Formats: sequence, structure tokens, C-alpha cells
Amino acid sequence: MEVFANFLIGLREGLEAALVVGILVAYLRRTGRQRALRSVWAGVVVAVGVSLLFGAVLTYGPRGLSFKAQELIGGILSIMAVGVVTWMVFWMAKTARFMKAELEGRLDVAVAMGSFSVFLLAALAVGREGLETALFLWAAAQATGSSTQPLVGAIFGLALAVVIGWAITQTAVRFSLATFFRRSGVLLVVIAAGVFSYGIHDLQEAGVLPGLNNIAFDVSSTIKPGSWLATLLKGTVNFSPVTTKLEVFVWLVYIVPTMVLFLKKSKAPARKPSQTQRRTVEA
Amino acid sequence: MNQRLNQRAKTNTEYTLKPLAIALLVLAASTLVGCSSKAESTAGATVVDVVNTDDSCTLSDTSAPAGKIVFNVRNDGTKVTEFYLYADGGASVVGEVENIGPGVSRKLTVSPGAGSYLSTCKPGESGTGIQAAFTVE
Repeated sequence: MEVFANFLIGLREGLEAALVVGILVAYLRRTGRQRALRSVWAGVVVAVGVSLLFGAVLTYGPRGLSFKAQELIGGILSIMAVGVVTWMVFWMAKTARFMKAELEGRLDVAVAMGSFSVFLLAALAVGREGLETALFLWAAAQATGSSTQPLVGAIFGLALAVVIGWAITQTAVRFSLATFFRRSGVLLVVIAAGVFSYGIHDLQEAGVLPGLNNIAFDVSSTIKPGSWLATLLKGTVNFSPVTTKLEVFVWLVYIVPTMVLFLKKSKAPARKPSQTQRRTVEA
Repeated sequence: MNQRLNQRAKTNTEYTLKPLAIALLVLAASTLVGCSSKAESTAGATVVDVVNTDDSCTLSDTSAPAGKIVFNVRNDGTKVTEFYLYADGGASVVGEVENIGPGVSRKLTVSPGAGSYLSTCKPGESGTGIQAAFTVE
């Protein structure tokens, strides 16, 4: 039981980062930007390293992080992550438009993501919940004096999240590029909306934003927090069984225009397809 | 021609995103620096041990002097739990630590002023939890 409950925490904390990084890797592979993968791994390694280090200092050192500071870090990093993921979504929409004009494999020329942006995306996707996950992991490691079950569970949970992220990149190869862009774009918009409302919740808990007890809905009796369903919903789209009105509000304010704009942009043909095509052929 | 195209693409990406990326990174760095300066020493803090099972929440002390308090919350139950310190009869959160899996201990560091608070364990991560009065003198 100790293994399973901690396993679900690990899965919940790791899933969303694994999805975003998985889509990013798939995107770079499919657009022939294998070299940019190094930036992805650099971002992941930096985020994991900084989180584990900071977490270890707080766990084993004489200094503790105040509750408010931790919520502020979580909230601000979340809102920054929303920014870069949104940018990624529209970058993909732009690529999708170019695609209609150019042949696959030539995308790298037209719409290459800067390697620093790729690095930042990966680092924020992983680092957003990195500190909380690291603190949880170190706490589980500390418990190994009496039981190794918590740590084993936590590591298996995170490992499953990574496997799911890897599976995403493998599945993405089977879709046509157009389908891949649309589906992953829609998925990313939904994920980002969840991250946004989660970040707002962190800031509400820190007391920076009001309305923590102004609850829009509470379905925790139906979707029990310790269950598989709650874990997957929380881990992927950040669905919280108890959600404040402000969270619902920002979720809607983000998702409606972003989704509409993404669907519109990814559909619209490139402005001058004929000209672009000619240039490619000449080149 | 190919080279020119490459050049154009490079200019597009590198230059439009770099300022944004740098701004974000600076923000991240300043957040971390700002927050680590808030990571104050817990040397003079009052430590309150909390033992939480699926149906009980036992604190080693139900009061503490004003200043830094570290709640050391241990989960001896089978469900994942959270620990909260509420003010204003539950209307506002002074501090919360989540993701306390079974068999795990986690710390909550807060610095509340004198007053009446509510300590709360939430085995199962939902509901009002097991609440008790906590006084800061």
C-alpha cells in the first residue's frame, strides 16, 4: 500500500512534464531537427538538477523554505510555463501552415525553433513542479531508514510518466504531420490551460490572489483524490476535484481564445504558398 | 539561395525569441534568488511533530510561541495526506504541505503571529479533514 500510494504521487507529478517534453521531442524529430534534441535534454537535465539540488538543500540543510515562498515559486513558474507552451503551440500552427506549401523534411529551413527556446521550453515544463517533486522524493528517500517502499513507489511513478512521454513520441510517428500538429496542439492548449489555473491556485494559496475559499465546484466525493482517475486527470490536464471560481475563470479566459485562434491558424493556408514553393524548388 | 533561406530562418527564430527567452530566464533567476533569501534558518524554530493516520491527527504540542514554527508531519496511514494550518476559523491558509505519501515525513515552515489557528490533517486529500485548535502565543 505504501508503494502504490507513493507511486500515484510520482505519476501525478511527472506526467504533465513527460507529455510536454514528449510532444516537443516528437515535433523536433518530425521536422527533421534532430540536433535540437540536445537542447531538450539540456533543459531537462538542468531543471532536474536544480530541483534536486534545491530540494536536497532544503531537506537536509538547516534552512527551510517558507510555505509562501514555495507557493510563489510554483505559481510564477507555472504561469511562465503557460507562456512558453502557448508560444510552442503557435509555432506549431505556423509550421503546419508552411507544411502545406513545402515538402516534409524541408521544414527545418523554414521554421526552425531557436535552440535556446527549445531549452527553455523543456526546462520550464520539467522545472515547474520540479521543486515540489524533489521535496517529495527527498522525503521518500529520508523514509528509507524505516521503509524503502515510499521511495520505490515514487521512482516507479516517475518512471511510468517517462515511459508514457516516450510512448507519445513513438505514437506521433504514425500520424500524418497535419494530424500530429493538430492533435498535439489541441492537447498542449488544454494542458497549458490547466497549468494556468494551477498556477493561479498556488498564488491563491500564497495569499497573493484572493478567493481561495470561493469554490466553483467540489466533486471530490465522486473523483476521489487518491484514485487512478483523479491521478490521471490531475497529472495530464491539472483537473482538481475542488476548484475555485477564479481558477475556472482564468481557465476559460485562456482556453477559449487560444483554442479558437490555434484551430483557425493551423487551418489557414500559408499566405503565398506558390511563392514559397518556387523558392524551395529553386534552392 | 539555400544559404540565404537558412539565414532568413535563423534570423526569424533567434531574434524574435531571444529577448523573450532572456526576460523569462532573468525572471526565473530572480525568483530563485528572491526565494532562497526567504529560505530562512530553522535553527531557532519551534518544532511540532505531527503524526497522521487515516483517522487521527496527533500534534506533540497544541500551542507554540510566535515566530518560526516547523511542523514535522509524518504519515503513518495508508492514504496520501496533506497538512494545513488555517487562520480565521478555516477561511485562510497560513501554510500547507501536500503529497505526504504513506510512510513519508514532510516539513511545513510558517511564521504566524499570535492568535488562534486550526491544525488540519487531510488523509485522502479531500474534505475538511481532522481539525484541532492551535494557539500561537
